[in-house]
Amino acid sequence: MKAFGEIWRSNIFQKWLMALTGLLLVGFLLGHLSGNLLVFLGKEDINSYAHGLRTMGHGMVIWIVRLGLLSMFVLHVTAAITLSRRNRAARPQSYAKVTPRKSTVASRTMLYSGLLLLSYVLYHLAHFTWGAVHAGNYAGQIGWEYTLADGTLVPDVYRMVVASFQVPLIAVLYVLSMVMVGLHLNHAIASAFQTMGVTNQRLVPLIRRIGPALSFIVAAGFSAVPLAILAGVVK
Amino acid sequence: MNLRLHIWRQSGPDAQGMLKTYDVQNVSEHMSFLEMLDVLNEDLLTKGEIPVAFDHDCREGICGTCGMVINGRPHGPLVRTTACQLHMRTFKDGDEIYIEPWRARAFPVMRDLIVDRGSFDRIIQKGGFVSVNTGNAQDGNAIPISKKDADRAMDAAACIGCGACVAACPNSSAMLFTAAKVGHLGSLPQGQTERSTRAMNMVLQMDAEGFGACTNHYECEAACPKGISAEFIAQMNKDFVASAFGGRD
Amino acid sequence: MALNSNIPDGPIQQKWDKHRAELKLVNPANKRKYNVIVVGTGLAGASAAATLAELGYNVSAFTYHDSARRAHSIAAQGGINAAKNYQNDGDSVWRLFYDTIKGGDFRARESNVYRLAQVSTSIIDQCVAQGVPFAREYGGYLSNRSFGGAQVSRTFYARGQTGQQLLIGAYQALQRQVGLGKVKLHNKQEMMDLIVVDGRARGIVTRDMVTGKVQSHMADAVVLATGGYGNVFYLSTNAMACNVTATYRAHKRGAFFANPCYTQIHPTCIPQSGDYQSKLTLMSESLRNDGRIWVPKQKGDTRSPDQIPETERDYYLERKYPSFGNLSPRDIASRAAKEVCDEGRGVGPGGLGVYLDFSDAIRRLGEKTIADRYGNLFEMYERITGENPYKVPMRIYPAVHYTMGGLWVDYNLMSNVPGLFVLGEANFSDHGANRLGASALMQGLADGYFVIPYTIGGYFANGGLQAVGNDSQEARTAVQESEQKIAALLALNGKRSPTSFHRELGKIMWDKCGMARNEQGLKEALKRIPELREEFWQNVKIPGSGAELNQSLELGLRVADFLEFAELMCFDALQRNESCGGHFREEYQTEDGEAKRNDDEYCYAAAWEYNGVGATPTLHKEDLSFDNVKLATRSYK
Repeated sequence: MKAFGEIWRSNIFQKWLMALTGLLLVGFLLGHLSGNLLVFLGKEDINSYAHGLRTMGHGMVIWIVRLGLLSMFVLHVTAAITLSRRNRAARPQSYAKVTPRKSTVASRTMLYSGLLLLSYVLYHLAHFTWGAVHAGNYAGQIGWEYTLADGTLVPDVYRMVVASFQVPLIAVLYVLSMVMVGLHLNHAIASAFQTMGVTNQRLVPLIRRIGPALSFIVAAGFSAVPLAILAGVVK
Repeated sequence: MNLRLHIWRQSGPDAQGMLKTYDVQNVSEHMSFLEMLDVLNEDLLTKGEIPVAFDHDCREGICGTCGMVINGRPHGPLVRTTACQLHMRTFKDGDEIYIEPWRARAFPVMRDLIVDRGSFDRIIQKGGFVSVNTGNAQDGNAIPISKKDADRAMDAAACIGCGACVAACPNSSAMLFTAAKVGHLGSLPQGQTERSTRAMNMVLQMDAEGFGACTNHYECEAACPKGISAEFIAQMNKDFVASAFGGRD
Repeated sequence: MALNSNIPDGPIQQKWDKHRAELKLVNPANKRKYNVIVVGTGLAGASAAATLAELGYNVSAFTYHDSARRAHSIAAQGGINAAKNYQNDGDSVWRLFYDTIKGGDFRARESNVYRLAQVSTSIIDQCVAQGVPFAREYGGYLSNRSFGGAQVSRTFYARGQTGQQLLIGAYQALQRQVGLGKVKLHNKQEMMDLIVVDGRARGIVTRDMVTGKVQSHMADAVVLATGGYGNVFYLSTNAMACNVTATYRAHKRGAFFANPCYTQIHPTCIPQSGDYQSKLTLMSESLRNDGRIWVPKQKGDTRSPDQIPETERDYYLERKYPSFGNLSPRDIASRAAKEVCDEGRGVGPGGLGVYLDFSDAIRRLGEKTIADRYGNLFEMYERITGENPYKVPMRIYPAVHYTMGGLWVDYNLMSNVPGLFVLGEANFSDHGANRLGASALMQGLADGYFVIPYTIGGYFANGGLQAVGNDSQEARTAVQESEQKIAALLALNGKRSPTSFHRELGKIMWDKCGMARNEQGLKEALKRIPELREEFWQNVKIPGSGAELNQSLELGLRVADFLEFAELMCFDALQRNESCGGHFREEYQTEDGEAKRNDDEYCYAAAWEYNGVGATPTLHKEDLSFDNVKLATRSYK
């Protein structure tokens, strides 16, 4: 019987980890997206939603989720780097001429789109969570409190988002990053199901169509917020 | 037709290789690609040069010996066709053709276009079989096997072990080759007793040989001269993970 | 030297059982003390190596391929025969035996053929157990098809890739033993010589095709399973690397070569398209189940086939052989094709082709059914010719396909050199003068899985084997001789390529010793072959060195042996003053052009003893007795 370490290090298990964490992250993204879209319903909705997230389970839930996300990220990224290095080593001498047949721009650039996304995530956290960049728009600053309908004072997330995306450079940066998310997921979603071993012949063609469609929805949905703000539809 | 060939020349496993250019004239459209190389080689030989070494044997598309990357595609531009079954009518006068060996760490170049595919055999040695000694067998009809299962097993068993899947994969992964064997035997009742250990051991050997990981580009199934589906890769992924969590390999 | 075929006595049905009961056994614990060399990893070699290792012997297996999965057994398309009688259509061991003897034109050894038919059923069982995906019916039971030369459906198949699937099965069994450490597999090694010590086969000399190293390997027995010599004709359906070297070098060390003139010409090959042609491609004979063979009735009719009305077509096989029709045995179908082409009624470039037409079958069964049955063959045909056989009839022409002759072996598959066993196509044993379709796979696996594992034990148990090492005089001399031969060839530095000699030899053989032979032609060939050989040894050019991967050298060495062996074939064809099976002498035919056997004088297997290059070999005769099947004129009318 093989030791667990050997299995853990195997290509397929690493791939399986990537697929599993990737799919969970996609699930998170969908949740995140539905929260973001509350911007279109107005100040009250998004701010009470944000407050709810922070206080759910006496503020414990958000940390559990953050911890979970962090570990998924770490697993996903380390597996990606490990596998990419192995894949490079597997072909020391490259071809003078390559004519792909089935691979796509998305599939061939997963590492790059992934690494760009990683830097985007750090930037995004620094922006909205830590207030380390664009601090002038940070919701947690004094004087940006918002009073919910029930009278609770909460940070004005709505104002932070709107003020940020009214800056064209920030909005464009976010939209470009979402294009990158779309590109990454375009290959990732269907690929993850393949890696996890879905062979059901009724499902596979469906998954191969749903993957790209879902990636488009995610990218378009997230981009809608900065674009709407930039266009002045949401103020 | 007249053609310009750029062929990888490498005098030995440790030698430095390079692309060399050759012009060939009066190529008939009915020639096979390898016959075109034969003509080039006859010409080189009579001129006192060393002919281009390339692997080939049955020239019927079934032995899996031949293999070269032709204009960036293993076995050339046609689908479901080995290099020996590729005919010159696919090309036109004045074409430039790049001819390179399979590129993978696990397939070291022996000379020119010939690579060592011993790694495939070592993967099979780890479990690509049913452990049945001669004489053990019961009657062939004792276990009915549905036509569907037999056909599916045959789809996978059609693998000729040429290595085009590895050559086509941007990661030099041998997943399709390995999955074809795991899928062939896993589709049949005879293959069930060793199913779990087979997937586990063959996959780990594949890694040990230095093949890359699958990133689901599906270049392998597009390049496979026998059209083996990447669905077998999904099956092997499932078998492997089941074996990993089953803990009974 | 008298040939002793060691046939057990008793009724034919009991010979094999009796023999197995009487064979001495090697104690399981002692088996690991015996080393066996198996040369060749096709069906016969791989199955033998795997099975011997399973029994506990130490096996060293050698192949000139880069992997044990590439041998030309892999190219057999149609299927494998077995007397299972699953179809309930009257098949039996006896009928398979009878069909094989009759198909072989009464030139095979009855006892061997009966054993072959007996073990045929176990082969199917074994292969199914290995996971060979034979075709199945919807109910899950094994499917059968019929094949040339038989009136029952006894052929098992795996799409159009039966040979491949059986070989992969044997290959997997072999790889399993390699993994277990019981077989040491030597890839990319070409056998250069047989080492005989004290009259017994004790080892081989090999050349490493990557490093060029020539060395000896010693053992207690040597098993040759190195296939046939069809490539003596240059163009054949054999793979490019198929050669006679292993068996011929064994012949030069004393093993008798039997019936070398028996050559099977396969009727359904794709016609040649040009001078550059490197090989001919076979289309499975199973195509004749649904395809109808015809040529125009008119000479020189150049109309396209769809323009030729039904009444102006000659379905000559159906006309001449109404009961077997398009399913007549291979030799008959081939010769009939040659006849109509010689009459000037052939079709396609050069008039060397006949139509194999599926339009009736497509009308009757639909294109889908035909695609299910022959899809991959049709694809292959289209790739090679650029024509779509669903729309245009295929063009086919006979080509050299299989060689029934081979090293002479006794009932134990041992040659006259003790310790040298010969299996599969490399031996002469089971097919007589003509092999039936789907029987080559059967014989290769029968020899490897079910015969040699018993008989080799009998040889070992009889004892008398002394330890012999690589440092023995015989081993060192053999290595030296091989090295000298390689050096001599490289030193010539002439003007002509090995291929050009091979092509020229092939032309001589096809013209003079091909589908039809005559005394005058054979004598001419016997004059021209030595001349060509002499030129070869003066004017062949092989660039590069011996200490590297050198494909020109590999070919040069093989062609050198073909140039000697070709003479032996012609000697054999010349001495056999009769027509039988794959040997058709124009002087000996009936009024309507059928083969005319001469049972009174030629009912024997001709085993030739080597006397030196160019010297006339000595003929030894093994008389064949037919106690169970009555000698009769083969009729498929």
